[in-house]
Amino acid sequence: MVAQLAPEETVAAEEHAGLDDAWVTIVWNDPVNLMSYVSYVFQSYFGYPRAKAEKLMRQVHEEGRAVVSTGNRETMEVDVQAMHGFGLWATMQRGGQ
Amino acid sequence: MRGFRRERGAFVAELDAQEREVVASVVADVAELLGAARFEDGPPPPTGHPDPLGLRMDEEWVAPPEDAAVRRLLPDASREDPAVAAEFRRLTEADLRRTKIGRLAAVWQQLTADDGGVLVVRPEDAQALAATLTDLRLVLAERLGIVDEEAADALYEELEGDVADDDAAGQARQYLASVYAALSWLQESLLAVMLDDLRRRG
Repeated sequence: MVAQLAPEETVAAEEHAGLDDAWVTIVWNDPVNLMSYVSYVFQSYFGYPRAKAEKLMRQVHEEGRAVVSTGNRETMEVDVQAMHGFGLWATMQRGGQ
Repeated sequence: MRGFRRERGAFVAELDAQEREVVASVVADVAELLGAARFEDGPPPPTGHPDPLGLRMDEEWVAPPEDAAVRRLLPDASREDPAVAAEFRRLTEADLRRTKIGRLAAVWQQLTADDGGVLVVRPEDAQALAATLTDLRLVLAERLGIVDEEAADALYEELEGDVADDDAAGQARQYLASVYAALSWLQESLLAVMLDDLRRRG
């Protein structure tokens, strides 16, 4: 029984790992950061066009948070670290949560 | 204080001697909170990239900062998963501290240099200055209890109010609030020229 089950478990684990690797970076609203600065960071760091950067900035401001990037965990660690470097309040979590 | 303007390819602001002294003191305070020695006490630390090879240090587990202001500068990277936050802190916190302290040291050097009250910033250095102004404001905001936008607005009303001469705590708070407001104004003027520069380069 154990020998038969093992391969299935392996497949399931791999699928699980694939889903787990979809992460997002979230920027949260705070009362300190200037709207112009947040927009600047989204343009200069992510390379987003001005319209997209301002839309995300307004989403942070009005809804309290916005997903600003997606990718695997390691990439999101880089983005969150960059956001913290800029003084923005950012977190990462698995996508879809 | 005169806000940033673009002058001959650089971003230029003016701070008089007293304003420089006040801002330099906040800069040194924030660096000390992040673990640096007082900038006044010795030769400033090198301001170059602290980790030239871009290698991540293999740090041991790092406890989150206890001081709320430091924790805002080095926040948890996850709200619901302590393991994710801990792993992120282990990988990045020392590097982030070095980056922020290095930027603060550069600003401190510029503020304490004798160059006639003029603050000249090259466009390529403006982003580091804007980030440092953010760090200063985040720490001041935490000390002032600016937890939401209402509190931020109320601060400006507070600045207009009178504080009794014998109210030491009130005087201290109004002083911090005035520094916060001045740095916000200075950062807003810097962002105006930075965004303009970004559009020009389009």
